[in-house]
Amino acid sequence: MKKLLFVGLSVLMVFCLSVVYAEMTLTNAGGESITFTDEELGTIITSGEKPFEGVTITITVNQGGPKGGISGPLYEWRDVWEKLTGAKLNIVEIPYAEHYPKVMTDLLTGTGQYDGFMIGSDWMGELVTGEYIVPIDQYMKDPRFPKWDPESLPPSIRTLYTWGDTWYGPLNDSDGQVLYYRKDILNNPDYRAKFKEKYGYEYNVPPKTWNELYDISEFFNGWDWNNDGEPDSGIVMHLKVGAQGMYHYASLSAPFCIMPGEEVDKYHNVYWFDPEDMKPLINSEGHVKALEFQLKLAKTGPDAQVAWSLGEAWDYFLRGKAIFTFSWGDVGSLVQDEARSKIKGKMGASILPGSLEVYDRSQGKFVTFETPNVWGNTTGGSWHGVISALSKNPEAVYHLLAFHATNKISLWNVQRGWTGVDPGAKFHFLPPYGTASLDDYVANGFNPEDAQEYLKAYYDNFFAPNIAPYLRIPGGNEYWVALDRHLSEAYTGQASAKEALDRVARDWEDITNRYGREEQLKVYQESIGYKAK
Amino acid sequence: MGLKSGRIKYPFILPSMIWVLAFTIFPLIYSFGLSFFRVRLGRPATFVGLNNFARIFSDYKLGNSLRVTLMYVAVTVSIQLALGILIALLFHQEMKGKSIFRALLILPIFCTPVAVGYLGLTIFYEEGGPLNSILMSLFGWKIPWLSSPFWAWVAVLLLDIWQWTPFCFLVILAGLQSLPEEIYDAAYIDSSSEWEIFRKITFPMVQPVVVIVLLLRLIESFKIFDVIYSLTGGGPGTATEVYSLYTYRTGLKFFDFGYASALGYVLLAMVMVVVNLFFRRVRQVYE
Repeated sequence: MKKLLFVGLSVLMVFCLSVVYAEMTLTNAGGESITFTDEELGTIITSGEKPFEGVTITITVNQGGPKGGISGPLYEWRDVWEKLTGAKLNIVEIPYAEHYPKVMTDLLTGTGQYDGFMIGSDWMGELVTGEYIVPIDQYMKDPRFPKWDPESLPPSIRTLYTWGDTWYGPLNDSDGQVLYYRKDILNNPDYRAKFKEKYGYEYNVPPKTWNELYDISEFFNGWDWNNDGEPDSGIVMHLKVGAQGMYHYASLSAPFCIMPGEEVDKYHNVYWFDPEDMKPLINSEGHVKALEFQLKLAKTGPDAQVAWSLGEAWDYFLRGKAIFTFSWGDVGSLVQDEARSKIKGKMGASILPGSLEVYDRSQGKFVTFETPNVWGNTTGGSWHGVISALSKNPEAVYHLLAFHATNKISLWNVQRGWTGVDPGAKFHFLPPYGTASLDDYVANGFNPEDAQEYLKAYYDNFFAPNIAPYLRIPGGNEYWVALDRHLSEAYTGQASAKEALDRVARDWEDITNRYGREEQLKVYQESIGYKAK
Repeated sequence: MGLKSGRIKYPFILPSMIWVLAFTIFPLIYSFGLSFFRVRLGRPATFVGLNNFARIFSDYKLGNSLRVTLMYVAVTVSIQLALGILIALLFHQEMKGKSIFRALLILPIFCTPVAVGYLGLTIFYEEGGPLNSILMSLFGWKIPWLSSPFWAWVAVLLLDIWQWTPFCFLVILAGLQSLPEEIYDAAYIDSSSEWEIFRKITFPMVQPVVVIVLLLRLIESFKIFDVIYSLTGGGPGTATEVYSLYTYRTGLKFFDFGYASALGYVLLAMVMVVVNLFFRRVRQVYE
């Protein structure tokens, strides 16, 4: 009898365990499989009920195609998601420059053609304050939906996905610019000796300040240091107008013009506007000095870069033609693609350098720091999905976005450069900072040293003590465009740094006045965590 | 019978009337109304009278767009017209394979301007693009086609001239071919030189056609948008930001519809002034 009871209990235990730890293996369009637990997938999938049968949802995304950045993963997992939920997913690709106007037109006119959007985080101010997108907190607690881990996001990235304490989008991309450099070349003893002879000091690898980086970039510019028979460059940037060129300036300028402090006040931790009256700070002495520096730095790169967008600048670095670039996480993972890159295993990465001289607006002069003023950044779109308030199927949209935010799909995306999804969550990072496995990265084509440098750089960036403020107020896109076009005037010699930034300030004043200074000020203060005393 | 045949025309005219009313007249009237309001979708419109028009005079960015547009119109239209006349005169002669060359020459007209812009991106690509590769192999130097404000402007001009010169050529050639032979026979009997014949007979007779071509190209050039949008996006900086591109950005990127409508009306007024001046001059010549 006891034996029978034991067998019975054992069978029951095995059954219970199999229920609790049931697994499901899903295969994407590329034929790669991931095994999920039932808990990760949520009960809508595991029950097999298909409550979204007959529902079609339409999602907009930057144009990129089935293997393009941000758009690619939607295609990769579309078939399997459709099969599991019964819903149909319609992917609408829109060129980057047209995406925001198209989305806003749909929302503002109440057309409701789209159920969700893969947005840039700088659109959030407009979308949230206009109540054009819906919060997702209620869905996040609901076991019916796929489970993802909001606690894994650093505060710097979490801020971009939320407004106040309210969540608006599940995890997808984490954008920030870090420094990429040619570790093999910078550590070459002959080159180091020649540099010391010319500049009178030994450089750090990676450089600690922008001025040090400039010296190195100048030293390596214009001669054949990689022995390919052609002269090479010190740095490469993408500076084309209308192609995200202004983001370089935003990341580079932060240490020249943001005074760190305990809290956000009139003079500390602010970059864009004076938080008391919305006056633009973009033409402050610190900003002007930063742009003058960038113009000088650009001369140590290829002339054509003022007309280059992301792909062209990245390819130049991947082909081993430049010592430095500073850009998004895509570069680190694209370096691993040997069909495109000649520098796999030769890449170094770090948080962006700092500046020893910082403009202190409270004193009206530059002050000198003993250690570099370093700022992490979340520059870029951190492209992620949100649900349109006009959607008739918000649950289906959330289900799709949450499915893509599950740890396993998110990590899969991060480990492939073409997805455009960059690391930011703790489970993307290696121990002791995160929970990902180096073997896993290596199995997915990463050089182990590259992976360690790359992930450490992003960890340092997103978890830095100082994170440059992010602009996400109504009209955000218009402010960015004004900055972009006038910076391009400076890059192409049509205006000096001061003239260009004065024009930006003038345009920003116009935009603020049109949107309403008081309303803008209120949203701006909220968005940067400024509290009036 | 007469009455019936008179009535039968209405069903045929109706679709085009609806089309014109819906897509030309209504937007024209609607946007005129908009130009007196501060309009941002999602917020109530506010009547601002002539403020949007007044704002045009204080908009420093507009000055650049106007300058770029006027230079663009002046250069492209004059070159297209000059080349069009020259090629038409060439094709007015007897030559072998004329029909093949003519067919090849008019192909660019059928290209979509946006596609021409993207084609330009490839042709003018600075690092290893076909044009710079040829220049490098022949002369050892290359041109910063898209990174220099001047050369970006030249690149845009070249594309537009390439696309629209065939139109000028085709229409002017048709004009030349309709000229009566007898006058030329008489002129040759008087043993006039080729240049004299062109100056005193051919050009004056073909001039009405040339004026029409000029007017059509002027109107179209003022509205230039597609090629620049796809090739340079108005850059580098604002070097190729023409008036239409600026208006497009104001209205459809920043949703400042009232001001964009005012900008549209100012462009309409400018084109109408130019067209009227030309027509007045044409009338003076021919009356």
